[in-house]
Amino acid sequence: MRALMLKLEPIIWGLFGGGMFVGALLLPAFVLVLGVLAPLGVVTLDTGALFALARHPLGRLVCLVTIALPLWAGAHQLRHIFLDFGGLRYDGFLGALLYLLALLGSALGIVAVWNL
Amino acid sequence: MSTLRARLDAMRPSQAGPTRTADPRPPDHFPSRGNYRSYLMFGLGSSLMLLVSANLLRVVKSLGDGERAFDALLESFAHPLYLGFHLLAFVWLSWVALHFFALFPKTQPFRIGPFKRPPDALLVTGLRALFLLSTLLVTALLLGVL
Repeated sequence: MRALMLKLEPIIWGLFGGGMFVGALLLPAFVLVLGVLAPLGVVTLDTGALFALARHPLGRLVCLVTIALPLWAGAHQLRHIFLDFGGLRYDGFLGALLYLLALLGSALGIVAVWNL
Repeated sequence: MSTLRARLDAMRPSQAGPTRTADPRPPDHFPSRGNYRSYLMFGLGSSLMLLVSANLLRVVKSLGDGERAFDALLESFAHPLYLGFHLLAFVWLSWVALHFFALFPKTQPFRIGPFKRPPDALLVTGLRALFLLSTLLVTALLLGVL
């Protein structure tokens, strides 16, 4: 499994880099509005406008990219933290598990965006 | 006239010797001192993206399931545990973003295509301004201001 991950490293690295960029630029604002301000009642969301925004082709693309790419960035970073703490022996299993989670999340993201 | 050619394997030992590579081990004072703490905070913060993106997936799925599902999800986000998690995630991810942009120039070559790399300070300031702008833009779009 480690040999396969080594072969896929350029692709994973690309997804990781993209995920870091997208996650850094977009995720804080999503968390602030949808996770803090709206639940606290500080702001009121215009649900109709939000639905229209999410269903726009560009909105769908932004939703998908903001779901999928940071999943890969998080999986890659978590794998390397395990490695830093001496997890080399289990890297084949843990790395594969984390990347499978990211792959599954990306697939579910495509389905969720498709069903909007 | 003949030419002499060196044989590339002339100095190869007849038998493979035992490897002298040391076992990998963490550096001294890892992870409690110096830059290691900030390095780990950065790594864990990036890993937090995994959870936040998974939560965003739930939001998008609930949008697809209809207004009632979306409202129910937002109501569940009012639970103190969710609020605490999202507040922590916002602060941590913002720090990761600013730290990531500060590291960005070090990952770039001295020449980008035919051009010389812009000064590091300019790159970092530009990226941080982009972060501020994108945060404001996404916030305004989500609130329906734009």
